[in-house]
Amino acid sequence: MAAETGNLEQFKTGILDNNPVLVQLLGMCPALAVTNSVENALVMGGAATFVVVMSNLITSLLRNLIKPHVRILIFTLTIATFVTIADLFLKAYLFKVSQAIGAFIPLIIVNCMIICRAEVVAIKNGVGKSLADAFGIGIGFTLSLLTLGIIREILGSGTFLNYQVLPKTVWDTHAWIIMILPPGAFLTLGVVVGVVNYMRERGKVGA
Amino acid sequence: MEFIAILLSVVLVNNLVFQGFLGICPFLGVSRKVDMAFGMGCAVTFVITMAGAITWIIMHLILHPIAGNMFGDKLALNFLQYVAFIMVIASMVQLVEMYLKKFFPPLYTSLGVFLPLITTNCAILGACLYIYMKPETQSFLNALTYAFGGGIGFMIAIVIMAGIREHLLFSDVPKPFRGAGITLLVAGILALAFTGFTGIGK
Repeated sequence: MAAETGNLEQFKTGILDNNPVLVQLLGMCPALAVTNSVENALVMGGAATFVVVMSNLITSLLRNLIKPHVRILIFTLTIATFVTIADLFLKAYLFKVSQAIGAFIPLIIVNCMIICRAEVVAIKNGVGKSLADAFGIGIGFTLSLLTLGIIREILGSGTFLNYQVLPKTVWDTHAWIIMILPPGAFLTLGVVVGVVNYMRERGKVGA
Repeated sequence: MEFIAILLSVVLVNNLVFQGFLGICPFLGVSRKVDMAFGMGCAVTFVITMAGAITWIIMHLILHPIAGNMFGDKLALNFLQYVAFIMVIASMVQLVEMYLKKFFPPLYTSLGVFLPLITTNCAILGACLYIYMKPETQSFLNALTYAFGGGIGFMIAIVIMAGIREHLLFSDVPKPFRGAGITLLVAGILALAFTGFTGIGK
């Protein structure tokens, strides 16, 4: 089975065809919650990428030792360990962002995207393929968070990474506050998912 | 009075799904039929209440760094919080799964893979973490009220969503938006409605 797809293919599929948020609809909670600014989206994407890479690495190394009926428990404990590391690291070096993201860093533990990668890829494949897959998925996750973050920050606060990009005079009085509030998250993700579906349909017809 | 304030706050004002973005995966995945959504809501409410109570005990009597644990030791075991919480939740879900399998087999089969996935429902871990973070839920009964209210809030959200989706079946949605797209847009409008509760209480 392992020889069927190369590492590069496995890496690319995570970014495009199997994008965790926009196509597989996994890991939706952080995608909605922390994308009210580009900075938060980037930090969240980085943390999740670190966790998925490390958990895929460990799971892949242990794959011959794990008994099937306890595997979910092993996955969650592995993930919880690395999330604790990421959480302490962010609290030490990026305190402001870590406060803004709040409970969503520990909530990476229950991000279905990461458990899904361990279950689908890491438990069956060698270290190389698992790592390639984890990097692809991590980058795909970060990119989709970034897309949402850019749309919501520019429309909601008129800024990009805290720099003013839309005319301040207009945006001070007429900002789309709704975009940085919870409903804006659902609406933006709904529209982006619809657009991605449309582009995939068109791509299939063309090919 | 305090209980009512906490309950109203977590069910309506700070609804875990619409204001906290917790539990989105089952909210999108199990909201096709009202009866399934209701079963899911009940299971989540049970797990969230039990897990909230047990994690409160673990946090305040064993891991809590300031007051000293039940043996009088001041262990700074805060970093074990996440690992301990997820263990508690996983075992609670196992319990619910065994119970439903024995006493409600039809519900057990209809929930299928989403039942073990309650472990990875972030509403549960999220509620347990918020209980420890918020100043007003530091007493045991307040924590229990908050956890129960969180479950009820999730149930209300998912049942409303299922009711709307049953009707959506008969509407002509543009093809790319069928499924997840339209569900998210509907959720956005529902969240907008729930934003209207913001004025109540704190």
